[in-house]
Amino acid sequence: MSRPDWIVLVLTLLAMIAYGLYKGRTTRNLDGYFLANRSVPWYMVLLGIMGTQASAVTFLSAPGQAYTDGMRFVQYYFGLPLAMVVLCITFVPVFHRLKVYTAYEFLEQRFDLKTRTLTSFLFLLQRGLSTGISISAPSIILSSILGWDIVWTNIFMGGLLIIYTVTGGAKAVAYTQQLQLIIIFTGMFIAGYMVIHQLPAGVGLTEALHIGGKAGKLNIITTGINEKGFDWNDRYNLFSGIIGGFFLALSYFGTDQSQVGRYLTARSMGESRLGLLMNGLVKVPMQFLILLLGVLVFTFYQFNREPVFFNKSQVDLLEKSKYKDSLVQLEKAYEATEDLRIHTAAPTEAQVQEILKTKAGYRTTIKRWLNDKDVGGEDNDTNYIFLRFVMDYLPKGLIGLLIAVIFLAAWGSIAATLNSLSSCTIVDFHKRFSRPLTEEKEFRLSRIYTFFWGVFCVAVAQLAYNLGNSLIEAVNVLGSLFYGVILGIFLVAFYRKKVGGTAVFISAVITEAGVIVLNILSRKGIVSLSFLWFNVVGAIGVILISEVLQLLIKNNNKAA
Amino acid sequence: MDREEQEEASPLFKSWNTWYVLVIGCLLVLILFFYFLTKHFS
Repeated sequence: MSRPDWIVLVLTLLAMIAYGLYKGRTTRNLDGYFLANRSVPWYMVLLGIMGTQASAVTFLSAPGQAYTDGMRFVQYYFGLPLAMVVLCITFVPVFHRLKVYTAYEFLEQRFDLKTRTLTSFLFLLQRGLSTGISISAPSIILSSILGWDIVWTNIFMGGLLIIYTVTGGAKAVAYTQQLQLIIIFTGMFIAGYMVIHQLPAGVGLTEALHIGGKAGKLNIITTGINEKGFDWNDRYNLFSGIIGGFFLALSYFGTDQSQVGRYLTARSMGESRLGLLMNGLVKVPMQFLILLLGVLVFTFYQFNREPVFFNKSQVDLLEKSKYKDSLVQLEKAYEATEDLRIHTAAPTEAQVQEILKTKAGYRTTIKRWLNDKDVGGEDNDTNYIFLRFVMDYLPKGLIGLLIAVIFLAAWGSIAATLNSLSSCTIVDFHKRFSRPLTEEKEFRLSRIYTFFWGVFCVAVAQLAYNLGNSLIEAVNVLGSLFYGVILGIFLVAFYRKKVGGTAVFISAVITEAGVIVLNILSRKGIVSLSFLWFNVVGAIGVILISEVLQLLIKNNNKAA
Repeated sequence: MDREEQEEASPLFKSWNTWYVLVIGCLLVLILFFYFLTKHFS
């Protein structure tokens, strides 16, 4: 990176820490630390919800995903607006009426202590691990592209935000998320403008869409139905998006404390509702625009030389391996193919297909070499596509801004999560199982727990360093293993009034074991089921099993 | 009107139900728009 890029990056990050410290300086008690004294207006609730959901991976992976797989990933978010409506009708009024700190407090009032403890524990487990992956994902990409040391990148990605999150709590998180999203959207809009600006004369947005469409990148709506019927293993289609996405979003926004904690900071129930509903209105278009950026980058590379492999560090790895000479020959042949493609005026369909086939062959060879045990490389470069374009084609200064965007996106999401992990640890465990604490001690312990979780997540990020493939999906799959069951517990709590704590607790344990087995069978190819459906299986499993168990318990009691 | 009812008041519309219909309606319009884009450009 050039000096102007470093200046922009460092100033942006320092300004964010200073702003967080300034805004959170008045926080002195538990209500202020976890709920910002319930004083936040709806638009900050909205930005908090969006900032918590959109991690760095969202902005890195999504354009790459559109580049390789097309825009069908947007369907993953179709269930979200429906979930927002259900949340506003059912979850929000209950949480506000009971004035809870965590969503799981409600479960003790409705069921019993063991159900609350189990659900809060599941949240801490999956959220702590997935936050580690959220830190590791962008760190691996940045360290790979910029040559930074992975340990330091992890510390900067997941560690610096601890300063203002520990000090200022929910208030600092809310205000920094507001500023972070403004910078993020500005950076992404400028990047989008720069892609269109660098297209050849006569090629505008409409032409770019036609080019992307012809290559199958505008597959925004897909049904997942083929000649054999509905493909349950197809990850992103209209049905899995609406049904699976609905269950996932309902669980994430209704039962994950990192999100519940955002709208509990609202100054009234109406402000919580408005923030959630606005999220339902803007989330799908926002994700569409981020994916569109990937299609625009794809169009750009139709007029410019596309790298044979977007992750340059892996090509460097091959240069030091036994494939060194073969790589030189392959790169020469690839460049000749690219020149032919770019300079052939009005190619026939047969010529285009031939060139694409040849290019695919070169990429397959590179991937085969990387998969060689002696090389030990990473054969998936989807997450590197957008950043490679940024590094190669954007002007000085703007590169620094877009690297800052990645850091800020990570910080917004991680800061909210650390605050929620800390709130569950102190409210659901420490306070619940220890002697009463003074207000000052509660506050001090909350800060210590926030710091502990920050260190824990950075350590997990370091452990996850060896995790490969598409990282965005790794995070989503991990969530889907637990979310369905947690949602099932809450749905029983809200809608099945006759089911008691013991029945729901046992059914949750059984269903969680079942979902984990299902995931193992799916990975081994024995069962064909995409991860989004785990949310549906988990939620419905808990509801049905708890109903049956409740009947058995009732009959047993009668017999006794 | 007590505090709870005041908090319940929906901004812009008479009731929250109108907001819910708006959110679901916008989703349907978006899906139709995306379907049109898919058909038109693919």
